[in-house]
Amino acid sequence: MRLLAAAVAALALAAPAAACVHPASQSKLEAELVCLQCHTTLDESSSPFANQMKADVARQIALCRSERQILDSMVAQFGPTVLSTPQTHGFDLLAWILPLGGALLGAAALAAGAWHWSRRRGPDDPPPSHALDPADERLVDEELARF
Amino acid sequence: MRIVRIVTAAGVLALLGLLVWSVAHRHGPGVAVAVDRGERVPAPKLDLPRLDAPGRLSLASLRGKVVVVNFWQSSCVPCKQEAKALAAASAHWRTRDVVFVGVDSLDLKSTGRAYMKHYDVEYPNVRDALGSTYPNWGVTGTPETFFIDRRGRVVPPHIIGQASRQRLDEGIRRALRS
Repeated sequence: MRLLAAAVAALALAAPAAACVHPASQSKLEAELVCLQCHTTLDESSSPFANQMKADVARQIALCRSERQILDSMVAQFGPTVLSTPQTHGFDLLAWILPLGGALLGAAALAAGAWHWSRRRGPDDPPPSHALDPADERLVDEELARF
Repeated sequence: MRIVRIVTAAGVLALLGLLVWSVAHRHGPGVAVAVDRGERVPAPKLDLPRLDAPGRLSLASLRGKVVVVNFWQSSCVPCKQEAKALAAASAHWRTRDVVFVGVDSLDLKSTGRAYMKHYDVEYPNVRDALGSTYPNWGVTGTPETFFIDRRGRVVPPHIIGQASRQRLDEGIRRALRS
């Protein structure tokens, strides 16, 4: 019975949305919003709270609100943690910069290490000598002679 | 090569700093555990925006009164089942310096307000959008109800799940005697 009521409500909300010039996408918004109780995106959750959020998104779509406006309304209510991806401004920008910076630093460290390693032995340097000193050579000869 | 070492050392130090900060800011089990052991503990800070009116409500402003703090959520079924009992108990005890405070957590404003209207909730309610009060209070879900005595201490019992009118009255009497 509840499912039927929800379906009727969704249809009732969907009808006015069709009248919007560019209606926001419910499925896209559900992928961009997080259920704060279950910590998954709305499209992966069917908890009562997630269902309430989905219904609110549908209601706002029916009012011809844009995707940006709907996301902003959710952020206004719950803060930026309601978004599945961090924002690209303010403190959240660090979430984008830090991994990129880390990757660049790692690449720079690798490059520096490779450069340093290649500089340790130049092409004109004599190859390392594997020859034994005379005392060791004599010892080896003596040991071999026993066999 | 020296720069690489310095950067590596700085990175390790930064990670250690983060670890220390994280440990230092880790919440304990919350007051619920102590209250369930029969202890009376100072009520954690509760200062949140009102759901039913503009402005904020602070628990500190209610010192000198017995306060019943009820954590709820509009999508929670046991919350709906206890709502009438809470509203009735609030109306009954209002004249005896007992204040009910609802904490609507992890909820949409619109559904929270609709819930209050539907269940005739007339006592003040605050909104904890992210459930940030949960760790200090030791709340593990909704509904949960706490009783605070006139001295600002959380006293037993702590009701987990649906609160009946009888259990609410018992809790209030104990808080009044405390």
